[in-house]
Amino acid sequence: MNSLTLGKYIPLDSIIHKMDPRSKIIGMLIIIVSIFFPSGWIGYGIIGLSVFVVVLLSKLNIKIIFNSMKPMMMMLLFLLFINTLVIKDGDLLLDVFGFTIYSEAIFQTLYITIRLFLMIMTTTTLTATTKPLDLTLGIEDLLKPFKRFGVPSHEIAMLISIALRFIPDLIEETQRIMKAQASRGVDLKEGTFKEKIMAILSLIVPLFVSALQRAEDLANAMEARGYSPGKPRTRYKVLKMKGSDYTLIVCSLILMVSMIVLSRMYA
Amino acid sequence: MPILFENVSHIYSEGTPFRYSALSNVNLDITEGKITAIVGETGSGKSTLVQHLNALLLPTSGKVTVLDRTIISGEKPKDLKGLRRNVGLVFQFPEYQLFEETILKDVEFGPKNFGFEDSEKKAKEALKMVGIEESLFEKSPLELSGGQKRRVAIAGILAMNPKVIVLDEPTAGLDPSGSKSMMNLFYDLNKKYNKTIIIVTHDMEQVFAYCDEVVVMSQGQIKLKTDVKSFFKDSSLCKSFGILAPHLIRLKDSLIEKGFKIDEEVDSIESLVKIVSRQVKK
Repeated sequence: MNSLTLGKYIPLDSIIHKMDPRSKIIGMLIIIVSIFFPSGWIGYGIIGLSVFVVVLLSKLNIKIIFNSMKPMMMMLLFLLFINTLVIKDGDLLLDVFGFTIYSEAIFQTLYITIRLFLMIMTTTTLTATTKPLDLTLGIEDLLKPFKRFGVPSHEIAMLISIALRFIPDLIEETQRIMKAQASRGVDLKEGTFKEKIMAILSLIVPLFVSALQRAEDLANAMEARGYSPGKPRTRYKVLKMKGSDYTLIVCSLILMVSMIVLSRMYA
Repeated sequence: MPILFENVSHIYSEGTPFRYSALSNVNLDITEGKITAIVGETGSGKSTLVQHLNALLLPTSGKVTVLDRTIISGEKPKDLKGLRRNVGLVFQFPEYQLFEETILKDVEFGPKNFGFEDSEKKAKEALKMVGIEESLFEKSPLELSGGQKRRVAIAGILAMNPKVIVLDEPTAGLDPSGSKSMMNLFYDLNKKYNKTIIIVTHDMEQVFAYCDEVVVMSQGQIKLKTDVKSFFKDSSLCKSFGILAPHLIRLKDSLIEKGFKIDEEVDSIESLVKIVSRQVKK
């Protein structure tokens, strides 16, 4: 499970880590929207540079960002394959026995790759510098204005934080049950199809039973401590915006505006 | 054929920031045909150690010999099934591994995986051994009480008829009478069928009453391996490891402190009473 770099919190001491989760979420959203404007290579260069500065400020190892791109590699290769088959615009680059590759196909794939890379870079920076719990607090606060339209912001935040809290538990539980069944002769790698189905069943059924049991236990424990979803609640940790938070939001807004301008110029 | 650990180390998540050395340079031999207790505080590496016995974990360095198999670090072991058939490992809270529709089917699961012809017969025998009545055989394992589930899960391992039975805290969370009958079962398996039993436990009363040998672990290392009699000769050795000696031994020690002369080995409250009453009459 060590390959799970995507979305993992990395505790470091940096200005980005100390920022308010709300401003980080807003900043991320604005940057992602800016990425969607077709602002050409210059635009992507500017966005890339700005995000890179944020990564530097957060003291994160740039390797982490590249590692989180790895799972996308297969998808991008597939995309390149499809694009070369479908897109027949631009200059002819290659023609082997009627199999043709046009420049536009390569450009389109590169565009998507760069967009994806920028997006992953932005989101990874957010999740790597913000504790999952802070992230949900931020989401809760940002959803609050929508409460009058019937969006249960607190419940959604509670749901997310409980789900996040259970992930390591369930990974551990899965490994434990796998080992227990391996002791009873289960072999997930070898065996006939029927045996494999049986092996997977012997893993999934106990996992479900224990997950449901855990959920029930947690619900009871929460109720025993007087939790009631609709009631007003005070918070132990009160979020506060600082100068760096406003700077980030303003900078990302400037970035978005310039992307809009750039994309107009291209069009 | 003893069970042998030679310079065994185990490191979790090597090469990541989460690197954790659970066993360091462990040398240990466990005698066959005996009941061996492994004791030590939480996080001392007991569970990691026992998972090497059926190759669920492979040593990062060193060599483990179990029955006629040798597992050397860095080599990919073959035919793990053969090893796992002969070394039955019961995890902590094994009741969470039950999954079949009926109790009988669940107990049969192990023997069937190992290609037993008579898995149903073996399963029924194992269920009888742990004291599950025949009327329950066709019920869902999820309907049982916690203690019964535990018995069924242990039967699931016993049905494989392993030569070595490894139990990781088998009585944790059971009531006193339940844990007593569980320990009696392991004791019988050892005495009647000559099974090698290895028990990870925190309960010194159990170690004192049922086990032959004791291994003390701390911080991933073996601190002591000795027979139970000399370990509980008096409470001083236990104390040096921060372990609370069994009631009887502590009682004996405080009687000696008060001026009684007790040189003989004491294995029950009755024998202690006999020695003390003799001296009182004088």
